Amino acid sequence: MGAQAWLWTAVAVVVLVLLAWSAWSLVRLGRLEGRVQRARTALETQLRRRAGLAAELAREYPDVIGPDRARALAAAAEGARATVPEDREAAENALGRQLRDLPAELPGVSVPLQADLAGTGTRVALARRFYNDAVRDTQALRSRRLLRVLRLHAGRPMPRFFDIDDRLEVLAGTSAGSPSADRP
Amino acid sequence: MRIGLVCPYQWDVPGGVQYHVRDLAQTLRGMGHHVEVLTPAEHEESLTDPWITFAGRAVPVPYNGSMASIQFGPVSAARVRRWLRDGHFDVVHVHEPAPPSVALLVCMIASGPIVATFHAATTRSKVLAAFGPVVRPWLERISGRIAVSDFARRVQVEHLGGDAVIIPNGVHVDGFAEGPLLAAASGAGPTIGFLGRYDEPRKGLPTLLEAMRTVVRHHPGARLLVAGRGDADQLHRMVGEELRPHVELLGEVSEADKAAFLRSVDVYCAPNLLGESFGVVLIEAMSAGAPIVASDLDAFARVLEGGDAGVLVPRGDAAALGRALADLLADPERRARLSARGSEVARGYDWPVLARRILAVYETVVVPGGGRVTALEDDAVPAGPPGDEVPKSSRWRGGDR
Repeated sequence: MGAQAWLWTAVAVVVLVLLAWSAWSLVRLGRLEGRVQRARTALETQLRRRAGLAAELAREYPDVIGPDRARALAAAAEGARATVPEDREAAENALGRQLRDLPAELPGVSVPLQADLAGTGTRVALARRFYNDAVRDTQALRSRRLLRVLRLHAGRPMPRFFDIDDRLEVLAGTSAGSPSADRP
Repeated sequence: MRIGLVCPYQWDVPGGVQYHVRDLAQTLRGMGHHVEVLTPAEHEESLTDPWITFAGRAVPVPYNGSMASIQFGPVSAARVRRWLRDGHFDVVHVHEPAPPSVALLVCMIASGPIVATFHAATTRSKVLAAFGPVVRPWLERISGRIAVSDFARRVQVEHLGGDAVIIPNGVHVDGFAEGPLLAAASGAGPTIGFLGRYDEPRKGLPTLLEAMRTVVRHHPGARLLVAGRGDADQLHRMVGEELRPHVELLGEVSEADKAAFLRSVDVYCAPNLLGESFGVVLIEAMSAGAPIVASDLDAFARVLEGGDAGVLVPRGDAAALGRALADLLADPERRARLSARGSEVARGYDWPVLARRILAVYETVVVPGGGRVTALEDDAVPAGPPGDEVPKSSRWRGGDR
């Protein structure tokens, strides 16, 4: 084989490898996009559920939590359900603060509602962590240089982190069981 | 909920991950969920339960201080595919998916919600550093990651990217809390318990033996009971003439005897110098109501709530350890207090409590209407050379039916 034939072979190999790599990267990007969407759906589901439960608590038990607090809670729940995406995090934070400020004991409030409220707090934190995890994986892959040079997925919107204060240390602490029971 | 658990290590070989999967499966089944397990085993006959599926034999290789099982290839892949298709799981939960094992195969083949638990806890692992970048594309499919300890989480963040929620290892608290006492521990004089491979220096037995000299000065009848495997002759040499009447070797103990041992001793001592990622044995001791004196490793301090549920001493400091042990043996009231607080802390690690936390993770990743877990088509794993059409997100959503 002459020098030119070698050169063409080399070029062909490089192109093939590049194509294979691009295809594989596109598969990964597509998969990650799906994962981000699913995680977002899960997060939205939990946030809506939390807002619904908060509204129910404010509506059904204003005398247990006090009328002022009930009004504030109802407003925060309404805010969380109604906001445009830009103010979403602030609205959810406001609702989270209201829920955290509730007294630990809620005598008279139905036990299932209390359990649901406690459970939904954990699930919001879990869903948010899994969503941000998916976003982090996506951003890590999208920031690869070759990927940017080849402009793979360049037209797609980059997913954003969702940042609210959900007291994630409850999940991060290794102490199991009733994490908030005996802690300040 | 239909749950598929995947254990990458040989089921019939004792190991922490295997026990974890077994206990989790049993607890979830007890709560009324449909649970199936896919696992390799040395002998297919040893898998007697109908809900455990044999995934083939695996080749054990050293991995992060324990034995991982390497298992790969078309036969294993076919078994995984069949298990996924037949199972109709709402969620699959793989354990330790980074090394090439049946757990990684599930990550490659399954389409749908995957949860993974990371157990490994050695921060500087050559194996993980080598595997990490290679397996990352498949680990990206995992929707929810769990780490059993802060350490395990750090390993995961450093080598595999992504974050994880921490749900610790569980213990069957009741199994330790109640039952018979060990005959060997009865008799005159207070007893101190040590459990573990006594000829491994990092377990810290030499420090404890040194500390025993202080203890016997204050409590002439005190005895140290050593349970675990190791070289008995070497231990005898280490103990020396002077301490010999105060040290008793019990040898390897069964699970039942271990619980009895922990219930019987007056103080349980964990003098480990390093390397414990998570103090399961401390939780077992607390469940059994044993007051604990332990070295101040991060993992131990966390389990003992910073010294609230047990006495912490500087690691490797025989004098401090001796003083702490002697003081505690002289103070029955304090022992009772530590024992009560320990039992309370241990409750948080009870399997039903942890299983509910793990279920919350399942419920978070299972999106309503998202479909069940299925197996991808054969040609999709792994992506070969490019065809004309590059499948994009459609493949990920292949689960909806």
